[in-house]
Amino acid sequence: MALIEIRDLVKKFDDKRVLDGVCMDVVEGEVKVVMGSSGCGKSTLLRCINRLIEPSSGTITFRGQNITDSSTDVRALRQSIGFVFQQFALYRHLCVLDNITLGLRKLRGMSKLDAQAKALHELARLDMVEHCEQYPAQLSGGQKQRVALARALAMDPAVILLDEPTSALDPVMSREVGQLINKLRGENVTMMCVTHDLVLAGAIADRVTFLDKGVIRAEETIAHLSNHHADEQVRAFFGSAA
Amino acid sequence: MNFFDIIGLLAVGVGQTLLVTLACSATGMFIGMTAAGLRRIDFFGAKFLLNFYSFVFRGIPVLVLLFLVYFGLPGMGFKVPPLLAMMLSLGLISGAYLAEVFRGALDSVDGAEVLAAEAMGMSRLQVLIYIELPQMLRFAVPGMVNEFTTVLKYSPFAYTVGIPEITKQAMTLASTTLRGIEVYLAVGILYFAIYRTLLLGVQWLSFKYRVPGFGAR
Repeated sequence: MALIEIRDLVKKFDDKRVLDGVCMDVVEGEVKVVMGSSGCGKSTLLRCINRLIEPSSGTITFRGQNITDSSTDVRALRQSIGFVFQQFALYRHLCVLDNITLGLRKLRGMSKLDAQAKALHELARLDMVEHCEQYPAQLSGGQKQRVALARALAMDPAVILLDEPTSALDPVMSREVGQLINKLRGENVTMMCVTHDLVLAGAIADRVTFLDKGVIRAEETIAHLSNHHADEQVRAFFGSAA
Repeated sequence: MNFFDIIGLLAVGVGQTLLVTLACSATGMFIGMTAAGLRRIDFFGAKFLLNFYSFVFRGIPVLVLLFLVYFGLPGMGFKVPPLLAMMLSLGLISGAYLAEVFRGALDSVDGAEVLAAEAMGMSRLQVLIYIELPQMLRFAVPGMVNEFTTVLKYSPFAYTVGIPEITKQAMTLASTTLRGIEVYLAVGILYFAIYRTLLLGVQWLSFKYRVPGFGAR
């Protein structure tokens, strides 16, 4: 059984259908990559999964439980799903260590010492221990993204949702993030990444899902999508992106 | 009696001036933060009441409200001590202004950080306490200093309800010595010294809690 099952997901903003009947599975240990041009509904899809946005209709099943149900404990759900934002969204009044321990202490009820030990473990995993006392404004974009990942990982989520993780980074840092995601994939961390960065997509996944105007148009390897897909629009996207 | 003797005699009222200023500022801080916080989390549609409070209390002169509280309420059976009357007048008006300062400071908090905290599973109240308020206080420092200065400058109204602060002492001294220029010059110097001392205190706090990347120092 898939960790996340999305069926006929629709999200409307006024009369505009941003997601229009999306069906998708995310299997444990997989890195699911969703691509598409800006405004195609990628971020909305991610935000529906942890209920930052309420779907208009359809179902999302997480670990066998329908989480679109009104009885769902949304806060508990969000603690099981890590979220990494494109602009990192680190708490700028807290140092790196406190950024990570805040959730552990206030949501998981861990003691300060235990939370710090856990945070340092996650920072070590991402080669960021030496920056633990620095503030977000003192870090580079790539380092901020590492901290954002460490913050998500520290909560031991079942899946991490990555919203355009490289869009605010230069190519060198983007490659770093790609390597990092691959490293986590090697550790069996389940991730779902939305991006329009073809280099990142190629580096972290064999197959990508192509979303266009809220509809899934294709799910294939990038090579197939750019050269052999029947839909010209899909070929154009992956060709131009390449 | 030389000028320093006058300052020494007036200094007796400094403690009362500080007490009035700090009590009214603390009242204003508490009310302003509560109002801004309730408005931020939209507590049971409190926005309308808070807007009404802010609108009304920013439009009433301090002295009118002070007389209303101190001389008006006893007529309804509520005898209000002088310091409490100051807190309920100057403190409430200061709170209305500070609520606006804090509202602006809260709007300066990056929405992405709020979203990230909610995505992590925090409740709206946790987001307010752990993410928004600590940043808000840093952003609000210039506005807070401005408001505390205003409270200090309005504190002489306390003499009208019998609190023996600096101005009250000065009036007594000036009428007995007939050396008004020196007495009120000394009053000005004392208020300026209190202002500078409070400012240094705020600057020290800002320095102690400074965070790289925040404009306010």
